[in-house]
Amino acid sequence: MHLIFGGAYQGKLDCAKANHTYETICDCSDGREPDFDADIICGIEGFVMQCAKTGTEARKYFEEREELWKNKVFVITDTSQGVVPIDKDVRAFREMNGRLMLYLADKAETVTRVFCGIGKRLK
Amino acid sequence: MNVLISGGCKNGKSYYAQKLARDRARALNKPLYYIATMIPRDEEDRARIRRHLSERDGWGFETLEQPTDLTALLEDLNVDKEGVFLLDSVTAIMENEMFQRVETAGSLKGKSNIEIVYDETAKDRVKADMVAFAKGTGNTVFVSDGIYGDMGEYSESTEDYRKALAAADRALAEACDEVIEITYGLAEQWK
Repeated sequence: MHLIFGGAYQGKLDCAKANHTYETICDCSDGREPDFDADIICGIEGFVMQCAKTGTEARKYFEEREELWKNKVFVITDTSQGVVPIDKDVRAFREMNGRLMLYLADKAETVTRVFCGIGKRLK
Repeated sequence: MNVLISGGCKNGKSYYAQKLARDRARALNKPLYYIATMIPRDEEDRARIRRHLSERDGWGFETLEQPTDLTALLEDLNVDKEGVFLLDSVTAIMENEMFQRVETAGSLKGKSNIEIVYDETAKDRVKADMVAFAKGTGNTVFVSDGIYGDMGEYSESTEDYRKALAAADRALAEACDEVIEITYGLAEQWK
């Protein structure tokens, strides 16, 4: 799996498209469950937000399906900076997203951070 | 050489950019310009401007006040386009143009009110202005702000603003020869 992350609007998906061959993209930013048949799965933080609402641990969800996503490209927004959110659910989401990113970065073959449209490989 | 500098708040971007611009102007033996972009709204802003002015004192900057309409400088015959420019910041110009403060006559004791008018056409205009300025000068250091790594729970207009600034940053990153992220005074080269 190749993990691409960065802040909002930085061009993460463009970076994924430019550096990997793909046919299909699954966008989870509306909260939908990832379709692991797609080549690129982006907006994963949207699915994590949904997990936080329903009390599912996102990391566990991915752990249980590792065989399905070994060859995928994952795109996720880094929400770890800034002030701790006042809202309890948002706080839970942010922490869950962080735990998931830690796990995915560990499992990933490559990790790329995107800044101002430019990707830099960290791993 | 055009350079884009970004990073978090109070990380030393301005100081780094000032040094870069000054050294560049000295090396090229060209005039050194500081493009001041802030429209002061209160005493806190005025204090910030005074602090910035004293920090730049003795560096050899000529200050150009241009809080909006950046490309007007390209038409200004008193400005040497071959010079080195420090634009601090893209963030402020985007704000000034997207959210214009218009004075309206108030009802109480003849006091005026400030109304904020949201200009939807500003985002594309500012983005194009930035790229045109980079191309029209060739030696500009642009300072922007990294405001994208948090939860982003903002009002619609603020979210529009974040999106617009990110688009301008990306266009500038494409147009510039170097892109540098500053973290607590330390520079990370992205391009």
